[in-house]
Amino acid sequence: MSDWRTRAAALLREPLLHFLMAGALVFAALSGRAPGVGERRIVVDEMVVAGLVNHHIQAFRRPPTAPELDELIRDHVRSEVYYREALQLGLDRDDEVVKKRLRNKILAVAGAEAEAAQPTDAQLQALLTKDPARYALPPRYTLTQRYLGEDTPALRAATGGSGKALPTVPFPLPARVVDAAAFDLAQQFGDDFAAALSKTPIGAWTLMASGFGLHLVKLEQRAVPPPPRLADVRQRLENDWRSAAVRSAQDAQLQTLLAGYDVAIERPK
Amino acid sequence: MCAKGPESGPIRLGDMMRRTMWAALLLGSAGLLAGCDQLKRAPAKSDAAVKESEFPERPLWGDTHLHTSNSVDAFGFGVRLGPEDALRFARGEEVTSTTGLKARLSRPLDFLVVTDHAEALGAAKALYDAPRLLIRDETMRRWHDLMQEGPAGSQRAMAEILDARGRNAIPAAMINPDGAAERTKSVWNSNIDAVENYNEPGKFTAFFGFEYTLMQGGNNLHRNIIFRDGVDRVRTVVPIDPTYKATPDEIWNYMEAYEKSTGGRVLAIPHNSNLSNGLMFELTQPGGGPMTAAYAKRRARLEPVVEITQIKGDSEAHPFLSPNDEFAGYGVAGWELSNLLGNQPKVPAMFAGEYVREALKRGLTLEAQMGVNPYKFGLIGSTDSHTALATADEDQFFGKHSGNEPGAKRALQAQNLGTRKGRFGWHYLASGYAAVWAKANTRAAIFDALERREVYASTGPRMTVRFFGGWDFTADDLKGDWVRAGYKRGVPMGGELAGGKDGAPRFIISALKDPQGANLDRVQVVKGWVDKGGKAQEKVFDVVWSSADVRKPVAEKLPPVGDTVNVAAATYTNSIGAAALTTVWTDPGFDPKFSAFYYVRVLEIPTPSWPAFDAARYKLKLPADVRVKQQERAYSSPIWYTPGAR
Repeated sequence: MSDWRTRAAALLREPLLHFLMAGALVFAALSGRAPGVGERRIVVDEMVVAGLVNHHIQAFRRPPTAPELDELIRDHVRSEVYYREALQLGLDRDDEVVKKRLRNKILAVAGAEAEAAQPTDAQLQALLTKDPARYALPPRYTLTQRYLGEDTPALRAATGGSGKALPTVPFPLPARVVDAAAFDLAQQFGDDFAAALSKTPIGAWTLMASGFGLHLVKLEQRAVPPPPRLADVRQRLENDWRSAAVRSAQDAQLQTLLAGYDVAIERPK
Repeated sequence: MCAKGPESGPIRLGDMMRRTMWAALLLGSAGLLAGCDQLKRAPAKSDAAVKESEFPERPLWGDTHLHTSNSVDAFGFGVRLGPEDALRFARGEEVTSTTGLKARLSRPLDFLVVTDHAEALGAAKALYDAPRLLIRDETMRRWHDLMQEGPAGSQRAMAEILDARGRNAIPAAMINPDGAAERTKSVWNSNIDAVENYNEPGKFTAFFGFEYTLMQGGNNLHRNIIFRDGVDRVRTVVPIDPTYKATPDEIWNYMEAYEKSTGGRVLAIPHNSNLSNGLMFELTQPGGGPMTAAYAKRRARLEPVVEITQIKGDSEAHPFLSPNDEFAGYGVAGWELSNLLGNQPKVPAMFAGEYVREALKRGLTLEAQMGVNPYKFGLIGSTDSHTALATADEDQFFGKHSGNEPGAKRALQAQNLGTRKGRFGWHYLASGYAAVWAKANTRAAIFDALERREVYASTGPRMTVRFFGGWDFTADDLKGDWVRAGYKRGVPMGGELAGGKDGAPRFIISALKDPQGANLDRVQVVKGWVDKGGKAQEKVFDVVWSSADVRKPVAEKLPPVGDTVNVAAATYTNSIGAAALTTVWTDPGFDPKFSAFYYVRVLEIPTPSWPAFDAARYKLKLPADVRVKQQERAYSSPIWYTPGAR
């Protein structure tokens, strides 16, 4: 088979293409039945009915029964009547909810292209290079801890610095954590405890304070990961890149739109 | 292209892809893009790659109930933050709130479910309606212009599109021209993208979900719907909205159909029973008549968890129902006056169908009558924030909606959620979180914990609560690895006691303060049972408390813990209370013949409320009836005892 045939065949199997085709029909359908505001004719044609049926199938995994379909159609007509009458009466005008709704929608349209765009590796790498700290992977710890009780001067005195022989207090969190990320330890013991682990000596029983009181902690391992590579944090980079791209597209759009308006602000004197 | 690497695809398809996505949004048919996921996704992230621990090691904190700009009422109040901002905020990143305040959650959450109302899960514009100015792609603009010309132009546009792609047959199954359905689907799909992009198994879990805002009159029967599954399954459904429905049958049909056809799993979490005017936990079938076993079974299976506390009040217990419980009545002020919309006042007879403790009791009563307990549910808290910001601490309350983000007036403002009668800003609670004893931070592990009810509710503080029921626990167990003993020889919260020996059940109970919060006053066990006359009973036991050497119960009543709150400065100190409270407890009134449930309530020492923080921040003078301090609390899921199960 010739090359173009192979390519064409591949293209025909392409879901993207199928989608595009279906999209084209939707265009056509929408444009074909878009009602004028004052139009007095409501046509529930095969396409509309197919749409109602499809939606039902998608929600309930079966076609509607005949009475259900009748109700769906009746409801479609009701909605259409209310919608058109409301537009006729101008009920959409100066409605705060409608305004905010449309504002959100136009923002969504403005950001859509950026939303769908795919950043290049170079763009992502640039983001990473700019702020490596933001993407740094957390240090991980393996440790054993014993809870001694609330942090009181008496308890501190009793530990005499080592405190290994002191009785422990029942404690609902694990006595040993293995390879736990710093944020996991912060959730369990509080931010200060997790932060202090970056300087705690390894291999020795150490008296440490948490949000609960005093612990004897034996830090067995501290693994500080190397600076992140693109592959480690690709998703986060893509999220940040996309979010910034959407925002700047929306800002640009606003500038374009604003340029077409003459804004006069008359403040009360 | 979707299935292959970029090098093997037809030339310029990348560009085409981009245009298509753009077109998809305009068309409101992005749902059809499902096949192209692989292209957009970073390498597969899988729950299976995260190792589960033998037992749940720490509670995971999250919010199962959050609204963004895709919720009708939320954007009505002006919120401009969408699901992506919500996810970023929950993960601990800084965002700018709708009113322009920089906001960063001081402690990130472990998971989030964005539950926008299904009614109008957004809408995308059709290309036909798009302002021409916004269409930058020349070809697209040409099609747009053609369509504006009328039917003939539209046909030509379509012909051109078809011709351009060298193909003229469309699979009929892909045609879905219904505008409304497509609009819902398209925003649902962009939600799906955001959720998927921010889900990071092992670190932060983002679930797919929506709110089914079922209402009977103005009576709240709302449920949040949460999926266990990933994109592949969830993309095959669309949220449904409950307009004109009065019972949960339809959403249950939807859930069952989803599970059956995809092999996936989904659950529903009812909330604000306190605003249902007695309808959330009825003794009868909805609409009247005796409840059927089939209904009870279905409800218990599909709704294993109830949201007990959130911004719009707390639904644990009401003083009318629990006159002997001095701590009943937290977060009922304002909300006890009427239903959600304020169009029907509440009468005391309705409370029994509204409060969770009573519902658990009704569950036992119904089980005695028909053999199935419809109300055998676990408990969680959440925010129900409509600001896209999942805050729950008193000192960082960001408001119910963007209309009452931090500001000097909000505490005393009449709230027009339905009515201006009787509800004011300060009636809102700073809300709560869900704590989940999962074996890993993944969709699967968290969902499974919800389903087995190994979860608890907090009104905000991140207290650690463990609760095990068994038959042979002793105080000596606390000297060893009692968590392991709890799992090996008993059941955790949410479990059922079965196969015991003689004697009463014994419970290992442990509460740890929020590591960055207030000390604990006491731990209580709330017991409910049905006596031999068939009447439901309840009793609250203080089981372990701070300063036990000096605080002795007088006539079964424990003296108060004290109060260090400086209202004017909105401060407190941990000079009273305890950091950790642990005990092994047994029920002194146990009778093996009667079904019972037991749940734990943990009380913090008094702390300032958000109105007090506002008063200090904005120099306000608050009227005397405003709540300026409270004892925040955690509620565990119950453990049930059933005689037959022994």
